[in-house]
Amino acid sequence: MIPSGRESAEKWEVQLRKGCLELAILAVLWGGTLYGLEILRRLESDSDLIVSEGTVYPLLSRLKALGLVKSEWVESDAGHPRKYYALTSAGRERARSMAAIWTRFSSSMGKLLAPLGKEK
Amino acid sequence: MTSEAQQRLEEYLGRLRERLRGLHADDIREIVEELRSHILDKAGAGGQLTAAGVAAALTALGSPEKLAGEYVTDSLLAQAEISRTPWRIFDALFRWASLSLAGFLVLMGFVVGNFLGAVFVLCAVLKPFHPQTAGLWRIPDPAGDLQVSLRLGFGSRPIGGRELLGWWIVPIGLVAGCLMVIMTSSLCSWCVRQYRRSHLLPRR
Repeated sequence: MIPSGRESAEKWEVQLRKGCLELAILAVLWGGTLYGLEILRRLESDSDLIVSEGTVYPLLSRLKALGLVKSEWVESDAGHPRKYYALTSAGRERARSMAAIWTRFSSSMGKLLAPLGKEK
Repeated sequence: MTSEAQQRLEEYLGRLRERLRGLHADDIREIVEELRSHILDKAGAGGQLTAAGVAAALTALGSPEKLAGEYVTDSLLAQAEISRTPWRIFDALFRWASLSLAGFLVLMGFVVGNFLGAVFVLCAVLKPFHPQTAGLWRIPDPAGDLQVSLRLGFGSRPIGGRELLGWWIVPIGLVAGCLMVIMTSSLCSWCVRQYRRSHLLPRR
């Protein structure tokens, strides 16, 4: 069965959001060190991304393996230690170049899509 | 924390730890402790840590099997990318194959390439032991067509067949077999690299 236009668009939106997650995490960490739950809350409050918790932690682990973030365990008032993440210099560089690509791309797409928003 | 909440938490983390087997012990400890910290923070946000709070935090994380799969698959693919050991590459491809058609196709290519390579090498190695029968043969089939067959030399000489390479099968088989194994590993590693670049995380 051919999926409806709405279903296809929703699937495409899920993939689009997923593809933006790495940049979104690097952007959230741009301002300083955060632990996992803080990163999740920032993503939820500051972006339109619907983030699954089970996706973010493996992704943080991957970003660390790639040398884009570093982590440190810090004792907390809550009675248990928390793992804080910060960007490395390679991570800052990656975030900068991804942001530049994003800006260029969204600007050109914006021009292309502008007529779609105008009523005939 | 209530004992029921503690029990739920430990049961979840135990299942996660179990499914993370294959990763380095330090990595497993790090993952488990980070998720423990996350669950305690999430469940304790309202004050008292209750079984219901812990259960809600665990539901939001998803099943421990799926969560562990995200960590392990990526780690194995990362190993396959840098590894030249066929077994490591096979292990990673096997897991990738369970996730996507692309992984399955690459796994098939890996198996076929290595199988052909191994047969060429075996044929070369067995030639001195079966000088009359091992080698590359051209054999007529019942329909009258000619087919080329690589034979390891077990059994009798094929009727009406002609051996094509003679003793040249030894150097040619060794070189071709080794090249096939090396090229198959390189090609599969390249596929893994492309996949990891294009997919931030394996999709399910």
